Amino acid sequence: MFRGPFVCLLLLLCSFPLFAQLPTNTILVKGAEPSASDSKTPLPEGGKLAKDVYENRYFGFSYHLPSDWTEPFSGPPPSDTASYVLAEFVPSASFKGATKGTILITAQDLFFSLIPPRSAKELIKYSSDHLQPYYTLEHPPSELTIAGRPFARFDYASPVAGLHWYVLATQVRCHVIQFFLNSRDPNLLDSIVHDMNQMKLAAEDSPRCVAGYADQNVISKVDPVLTERKFNSIPVRIIIGTDGKVKHVHVISAFASQAQIITDALLQWRFKPYLQNGEPVEVETGIQFGNAPNRMQTASSASTTQ
Amino acid sequence: MTTRRVVPFVLFLSLLFAFQAFAQTDPGVRGGGAAAGAPLASVAANNPVTILNFFNDAKDRFLEIDSVTGSLAGEEGKGLGPRFNSRSCAACHAQPAVGGTAPATNPQVADATAHGAQNTVPSFITTTGPVREARFIFFTTNGVPDQNKPNGGVEDLYTITGRVDAGPCSIAQPGFATQLSNNNVIFRIPTPTFGLGLVETIADETLLVNQQNAFNNNQGITGTFNHNGNDGTISRFGWKAQNKSLELFAGEAYNVEQGVTNEIFTQERPLPGEDMGIIGGQSSTNGLPANCRGNATPEDHTNFNTTAIGTLSDLAQFAMFMRLLAPPTPSTTVPGGATSINNGRALFTSIGCAICHTPSLTTNASTFTPGLSNVTANLFSDLEIHHMGTTLADNVSQGGAGGDQFRTAPLWGAGQRIFFLHDGRTKDIQSAILAHNASGSEANGPSFTFFVNLSASQRQDILNFLRSL
Repeated sequence: MFRGPFVCLLLLLCSFPLFAQLPTNTILVKGAEPSASDSKTPLPEGGKLAKDVYENRYFGFSYHLPSDWTEPFSGPPPSDTASYVLAEFVPSASFKGATKGTILITAQDLFFSLIPPRSAKELIKYSSDHLQPYYTLEHPPSELTIAGRPFARFDYASPVAGLHWYVLATQVRCHVIQFFLNSRDPNLLDSIVHDMNQMKLAAEDSPRCVAGYADQNVISKVDPVLTERKFNSIPVRIIIGTDGKVKHVHVISAFASQAQIITDALLQWRFKPYLQNGEPVEVETGIQFGNAPNRMQTASSASTTQ
Repeated sequence: MTTRRVVPFVLFLSLLFAFQAFAQTDPGVRGGGAAAGAPLASVAANNPVTILNFFNDAKDRFLEIDSVTGSLAGEEGKGLGPRFNSRSCAACHAQPAVGGTAPATNPQVADATAHGAQNTVPSFITTTGPVREARFIFFTTNGVPDQNKPNGGVEDLYTITGRVDAGPCSIAQPGFATQLSNNNVIFRIPTPTFGLGLVETIADETLLVNQQNAFNNNQGITGTFNHNGNDGTISRFGWKAQNKSLELFAGEAYNVEQGVTNEIFTQERPLPGEDMGIIGGQSSTNGLPANCRGNATPEDHTNFNTTAIGTLSDLAQFAMFMRLLAPPTPSTTVPGGATSINNGRALFTSIGCAICHTPSLTTNASTFTPGLSNVTANLFSDLEIHHMGTTLADNVSQGGAGGDQFRTAPLWGAGQRIFFLHDGRTKDIQSAILAHNASGSEANGPSFTFFVNLSASQRQDILNFLRSL
């Protein structure tokens, strides 16, 4: 007769502490973080691992992990220099190989880099030229094709650690994607490079990316008025539709209130449509907001057009 | 990151760690006497003239025990409380010498009842545990943490209620037990203050160049800086690099940790929310009662009618003490011998630890003393803030640092530290390295490499190197 109310009371009593307790090992108070104007358009940080295949729809590539490797942890949020840790893979507990290794996949948005290189080839050469003295160069920069896409590569080693690094880089949508392969065993690294040929990579960038497009081609705009005194850099990518309207806003790193103000403003900007063979096509570009007064000046405004 | 993905790897690492615990171990706190606590060599040489007198006076003040009225024998510092965490700077900044960090015996246990105080020692304070300050992550509504109301302020452990010098002041401690059961409490331990004059004298430009030099590293690490909210320059002191200057650092600590009002923090400090009638989710009076604010403020101030050194406030001298302290002196042979230490140093750099733990940065010219000018500071930090992921996140935002961002902890002096990480959760430096592995952490790469790609003897060399610092 009183079972219903009794159960309700029990449920209430039992559930109250659950509501009171905060979850552990959870980041509840965020700093600067990425956001986007819609949830459907793929983002660089949105890659997922499913059934041993890492797929990143933004960059249009999928990568099949070596057997018995796994991704134990996701990476940090994109930085205020628009640097991404896309994934990091290590051998799983069931790995039977004699030596282990790591596979780190990163992306650097070329519109917001702190260093001069503006292509995968340039970045690999820059890295090789600036190799720290405690590393020894094993293979100088070279070019190769992996899965039908041009890559640049160089290899180096740490004699004291007995570790080898293979670095392979390609360029997608004005980002350099780098694979950092690390192990004591060059044979393991060679096999990983060999297997990279099974990657699926988009043949060409879509949409096109153009550095500085917003500087020269804006018709009308509403400036975002940032109301809080923060001193962070805010890199933003936008996709401009064939009608010159902003189709998508990706605030790569900003505090929530900043991101909302910037997104609301950018969605009101109007541009000259980007023309390819005389026809308007979608175009992607980067815009820097925020205020980091002492930040080193970068060449973002002088980025080369892909 | 799904639990399904994390658990097997954590188990994997835990097993790996457990098995290898016999192969390589933290050598523990390096013995042989304190390798820190002395003044900079130029200060010891009294250059410029009288600076050594200032340092010695500053150290005396750092050691001074505060009481409420300053009238207790041996505790002539005035202004303790009405809320506090401990009773002197040196009580907490003690390991391995005055100016350091949490000592082996926690003074906060005795602080609870000193001179008749009626405090209950919270469960997270133990005699052999680290000195801790506590913060509530969120304010509460009806006793429940409200995630729309971030708090993050320090909840002082104790009150002066019942002390012989407290008068009629009667206030309650925060509700730690309830908030602990809500997972709403985080902890911080004292940061060591050795060598902070060098840290202060590193130019922003130097830090920015260092950031640029480390860009495009092979571990995917990209830190940023916390900034002072007033002028936008890089701030660098505290666990999240939230404080711009040593004066600010000292003034805030004097007020928050000991309850002493001073020329930067001029009001007696209530708990977060206490001025709104809330203490730890319980109703309270609005603000601190008048009878708990018996001293004129600021309790620490410039003294106009005394000698040259005596003119200075405690606050100014606390900052001067930290400024003039020499950095810790590393050992070249202990533990493990010179070969192991040197090998560990090389490995530490090669596997990417030094990307954040920058071995050295050069100071600018200083007007204080030659020992601060244009010298190499071997701090092992880039002074940037980095995402450390879910394992270390304390969900306190300070300045531009979010809930999981921390300043790269300087490693100089690590060899003689007892407790590690911001909350002092471990005494084992290897556990501290393991804690770098987490979802959302920038430091997964070097930590992976340490545990996965190095041999046991190589790992031991790195541990020996860290304990040599």
